[in-house]
Amino acid sequence: MSIKIKDLTVTFKNNVTAIDHADLEIPGGIYGLLGENGAGKTTLMRVLTTVLRPAGGAVSLDGIIYCEGNYPKIQKKIGYLPQEIDLYPNLTLQECLEYMGALSGIPKDKCRERIRYYLEKTNLTQHRRKKMRQLSGGMKRRAGLIQALLSEPEFLIVDEPTTGLDPEERIRIRNLLVDFSENRTVLFSTHVVEDLTAVCSQLAVMKKGKFLYSGSMKELLRETAGHVWTCHMADERQARELERKYHVSSKQFSENGMEIRLISRERPEIQCAPAQPTLEDAYIYIDRRSSLTK
Amino acid sequence: MRTGKSERKTVGSERKNAGLGLNNVRLEMKISLPLYKIAYSLCFTVILSMIRGVILTYEIGISMEAPMALLALVFCADTYVQEITGRRSEVWRLYPMKNKLASMALRMGIQEGMLFLLSAAGYGMFILIQRPLSLYTAGESTENEWSMFLGFLLAMFVTLWFWGMFSAVLSCLLRSQWAGIGCGLVLWLVTNSTFGKAVLGDWNLFSYTFRDIENGGDLSWLWGKALCAGLCVIMALLAPQIMRKRG
Repeated sequence: MSIKIKDLTVTFKNNVTAIDHADLEIPGGIYGLLGENGAGKTTLMRVLTTVLRPAGGAVSLDGIIYCEGNYPKIQKKIGYLPQEIDLYPNLTLQECLEYMGALSGIPKDKCRERIRYYLEKTNLTQHRRKKMRQLSGGMKRRAGLIQALLSEPEFLIVDEPTTGLDPEERIRIRNLLVDFSENRTVLFSTHVVEDLTAVCSQLAVMKKGKFLYSGSMKELLRETAGHVWTCHMADERQARELERKYHVSSKQFSENGMEIRLISRERPEIQCAPAQPTLEDAYIYIDRRSSLTK
Repeated sequence: MRTGKSERKTVGSERKNAGLGLNNVRLEMKISLPLYKIAYSLCFTVILSMIRGVILTYEIGISMEAPMALLALVFCADTYVQEITGRRSEVWRLYPMKNKLASMALRMGIQEGMLFLLSAAGYGMFILIQRPLSLYTAGESTENEWSMFLGFLLAMFVTLWFWGMFSAVLSCLLRSQWAGIGCGLVLWLVTNSTFGKAVLGDWNLFSYTFRDIENGGDLSWLWGKALCAGLCVIMALLAPQIMRKRG
């Protein structure tokens, strides 16, 4: 299953261009979508789920072109977890999933079997008789993910699935998505870099409706190598001064004061050492590449 | 290896197993009839039967039709729009249209059923609380109480369907429950007025309320109800398109 996006443009009624002549190819497996708030990630996903009609360009899913006549065929192949979703507060978790499964057209026995499996996988089995309104934010998020997985879609689109989850649950969900992505495509949107590092080998970086990068994680890190530096500052004041001169990707208190990671084309004029780039560094490098003077 | 016959049987049972069966009625009831809706509709009917004064039994139907239509307008407005406000509509978009329509029809049926029962109960409450006089018993009318009640039930069935469906469809079209209720209220005010009576005559949406009560055999009010039923059919036919475009 692959998704091809060519020259895609999405313009809203107030003339804001959310996606600007974007090209992308999403292959099988988990594909990461990274970008700041308002970059156009959710808009792209809304186009892919057929919620939004693009103003221009073409999108195809496994060769099926996105157009009114093909929407029912495309919709059958998609599972979607939106960024925000309030599932039926008066239903129990089990009832809610059974109801949404029935709406998807999944046979009842198969649906119950899958619900049992995914409740187990997301550690929600003991909460299945609780009403949706009684669940915590993280539990609701996991329930939302189950409803997206229930129809076992060929193309799963998840918008920030790990929001509100504790570290242990985060790992559990990531593992679930990795298992699920076998022979399928999962589009994983987030601004939490750590999530993508753990699950994706391919990703795209978005900013202001354009793709700053699309390709393999390895290639992105290779591009960033040689532009990341680490140094130590005595205190926060000195660190602030350094921030005025360079792009700082992270600051951490350590035994020697503050350990700072800088993004710079050339070696900074302070005592520092080259560092192995992380995805966070690479994201900042790609994002600010044009403004890096040093 | 399966024979053709057994294969057909399996496909048939899978179809039966899939989608929205009778088991879903319970879930739809939990979704479309939350406690607060049951409570306010009950209160509305009880209070109406207490404060709207009637002297004769034939006044009960007149007293109930328009207020119950208003209740239906508010009660059914969130039938689909709750999927939009609950931010589930983007997931709903992926479901087959047939299942979405079946679910909406079920929700409408449940809500309208509840309002219909409430209307019938309200009629009884008027009699119990206000003890109106019967012209039939007094020998001044040929229309007995039961035929009057059946006429009332028929009129209410159509009236409730129309106003409930009107607000549900309009709310979906405008993507707002309050906009749907607001627009419905304008139509309610126009048709439930002397202006509406004068202009629309027998074709008024509240033709039962404006009927000639002194002539029990006059059934010309059925034209207005037929118009309501016809509009319901048109709205039902438009519903898939509206859900596709605005859902």
